Amino acid sequence: MFEELSQHILDIAMNSLSANATKVQISILESRRHDRLVLRVRDDGCGMDAAMLKRVLANSWSSKTKRRKAIGLGLAFLRQTSEMCDGRFQVRSVPGRGTSVTASMRLSHIDRPPLGDLNATILALCSADKKTDVQLNYRSDGEKFVFDSRDLAKKG
Amino acid sequence: MNLEQLKQLKEKAQKQISLREGGKKYRVVVGMSTSGVAAGAREVMTMMLDEIEKQSIGSVEVCVTGEIGMVDAEPMVRVEEAGGEKTVYGKVNLEGARKIVSQHLQKGKKVQELAVGQTKDKE
Repeated sequence: MFEELSQHILDIAMNSLSANATKVQISILESRRHDRLVLRVRDDGCGMDAAMLKRVLANSWSSKTKRRKAIGLGLAFLRQTSEMCDGRFQVRSVPGRGTSVTASMRLSHIDRPPLGDLNATILALCSADKKTDVQLNYRSDGEKFVFDSRDLAKKG
Repeated sequence: MNLEQLKQLKEKAQKQISLREGGKKYRVVVGMSTSGVAAGAREVMTMMLDEIEKQSIGSVEVCVTGEIGMVDAEPMVRVEEAGGEKTVYGKVNLEGARKIVSQHLQKGKKVQELAVGQTKDKE
């Protein structure tokens, strides 16, 4: 199990990279006013059809069918965390268009893991694939932070 | 969430992106699968990036991949040399990450106790 939500984010976004996404958008909404935390990872990767989506959401499934040690617990982990913290978990996917994973939580829930080291998560994602654009959109009641790896690539 | 912390991200990512350019002597690949992340692969990677910067080692590229193969040996780190030789390290903790940087990447000496299976030594 993961101790930090940012580890969940890294894990889910690594799926996006496996799906050959050119863009991964991570949004985090943290609202004390509404006592809500919403995480979303959206990509423009290869997506999944309805049958595959159903299997993905069952525990312990992976697209790595040829591997003996395929585990496939990433989405199940996030669903468990989200539901444990009075939240909802949703995966939407269109074949050829992309996938969007959304998990919400009650911000003040005692079992809600901390966001943790988000910087390390984004850095790891930026190191994964030169072709993939990694975006982070963080919002709280009064604050906002936007990151886009494409901006850095241009400067460098 | 601390916004101040996030503001350092741009600077750090800029450095990391410049590290990604090809033609380096070593390429370090960290396995960032579900099991890898759960075992601490992300922290291992951060540690390696910090150490590489601290010891100002220039000719290293650090990147991540999915599963490397042995789930029970996560976190796993693969060091690929420009000549084609590959060394896979398993059960790498923070101390191990530091060792790989200061011995393998800095001095070209493999960290035998962390290597998975047999590595071919040219000696």
